[in-house]
Amino acid sequence: MQILNFIIQNILTQAAVVIGLIACLGLALQKKSIGAIVSGTMKTILGFLVLSAGSSVIQASLAIFGDLFNKAFGLKGLVASIEGINGQAMTDLGLGSEIAITLAGIFIVNIVLARVTKFKYIFLTGQALLWESTLCVVFAYFCGLRGVPLILVGSIVGGAFATLMPAFAQPIMRQITGSDDIALGHFCTFGYMFTALISKITGNKSKSTEDINLPKSLEFLQDTYLSVMVVMVPFYLIVAIAAGPETCAQYCGDTNYIVYMFLQALQFVTGLYVLMSGVRLLLAELVPAFQGISMKLVPDSKPALDCPVLFPYAPNAVILGFIFTTIGSIIGMFLTPMLGLPMILPGVMSNFFAGGTAGIFANQVGGRRGVVIGCIAHGIFIMILPALLSPMLGQIGFQNMTCTDVDTVVTGFFFMIIKSITGIF
Amino acid sequence: MFFFKKKEKKKESEAPSVNKEELIAQAEGRIKELEGKEGNDRVSLLNEIGSLFTQAEETDQAIRYYEESLEICKQHGKASTDLMKLYNKKRQQAAEAKDDEKVKEYMDKVQSLMQMSKDMIRGNV
Repeated sequence: MQILNFIIQNILTQAAVVIGLIACLGLALQKKSIGAIVSGTMKTILGFLVLSAGSSVIQASLAIFGDLFNKAFGLKGLVASIEGINGQAMTDLGLGSEIAITLAGIFIVNIVLARVTKFKYIFLTGQALLWESTLCVVFAYFCGLRGVPLILVGSIVGGAFATLMPAFAQPIMRQITGSDDIALGHFCTFGYMFTALISKITGNKSKSTEDINLPKSLEFLQDTYLSVMVVMVPFYLIVAIAAGPETCAQYCGDTNYIVYMFLQALQFVTGLYVLMSGVRLLLAELVPAFQGISMKLVPDSKPALDCPVLFPYAPNAVILGFIFTTIGSIIGMFLTPMLGLPMILPGVMSNFFAGGTAGIFANQVGGRRGVVIGCIAHGIFIMILPALLSPMLGQIGFQNMTCTDVDTVVTGFFFMIIKSITGIF
Repeated sequence: MFFFKKKEKKKESEAPSVNKEELIAQAEGRIKELEGKEGNDRVSLLNEIGSLFTQAEETDQAIRYYEESLEICKQHGKASTDLMKLYNKKRQQAAEAKDDEKVKEYMDKVQSLMQMSKDMIRGNV
């Protein structure tokens, strides 16, 4: 009995161990060798600990940035980083175990829904599922749920989103791919469909982006972390200059305040680098296990794949989508404070993936003009929605960050609506 | 009304039944032309062969020629979009046959193809 109590109180309460056990179960279900099960389990645990370390670095850097931003401009400045939200929720908020179990629950609900309903979509983008699991758990927790009900509700809502979001995008996906075989598994669907709607109203389908000559690639995005750095360093430096040396002195001590904030921007990038290495390690065993099991259980499934699956269909639209979404997000950045909301600082990588894919959607239904107008509107849309969610995120404990992928934001709103409705009765 | 419309649509999609033997014969003719061809000429010929085999529903052959094309020249276009669908078709057949290894093999190929298209847009290829 004492041993059992020790295991329950000291081992099973540790998020790292719970996550490891889920990976262990996935590997065992795939009938892997003992060696593969042990190494896979240990790597998953290691992934969680690496993720935690990265999260601490990000938060330390953002705490300074957020405080100085507030003092410099008299308003809140939030960095759009779903990775940071996930890191903080899994570590500081102590929701790591719940997020991991809910992730497994989302896998199960997705398989069940794909088997029994006409929506045969199996969501295969591991990182996106982790972000969705995070937001489901965070908002279910905010609604007052704990323990098993929290995991159950989180899994059902997350599983429903994983099945229904690809279905939502499929009418346009069919037009783009010319078939019904492949679906889109990227939790930015509301943004894509909004872009398609604006593009359809304002655009002209007959003039495609693919008929113009553009550079074949965006070379400045070759290195993810370098591109994040190129954006974050100016943000940190502007805040340092606006706040002034006296205000910065409480953090930088004897170091020059510009040099100090430059290094803090690099600390943010370092934290992101470490955190994402942790996420990759964490998902390296879980996602293939899910893929193998789901494909076996739902052989007639339509795989919902990450957004690069669409890039070969309209590469010019990807480049233009990124450019015009970025323009829109800069407009959105200045628009949100005018609406009494915090200023959201756009993320370059989310603008690239979400913006590029939005460009393909826009081009399909509204051609070049649709891409320009639709993607500027998309950029504003993906700034305003996270800004609207930020007061709730702030109440939960996320002070200097907000979400990027808009479907996860919609998940948050969904929970808040349910909370309001149930509060009435 | 709605159901009638749906049925009509299905008929339409079944309509273009091109002669399979004819397509294979055309592909084989093109294969003979491959000898001595290099660079862009070889790539366009390989893509043409891949496309003919795809239309003839000769999945393995289509995959073979499209893969060779992308090996020589990584580019966005019909080779990669058709390959994605063909890999998915093979993955589905493997899942129905409960062949776990093949399911994994084709899922890995799908992932590599997506990585390739991401790298190409970002100028890493």
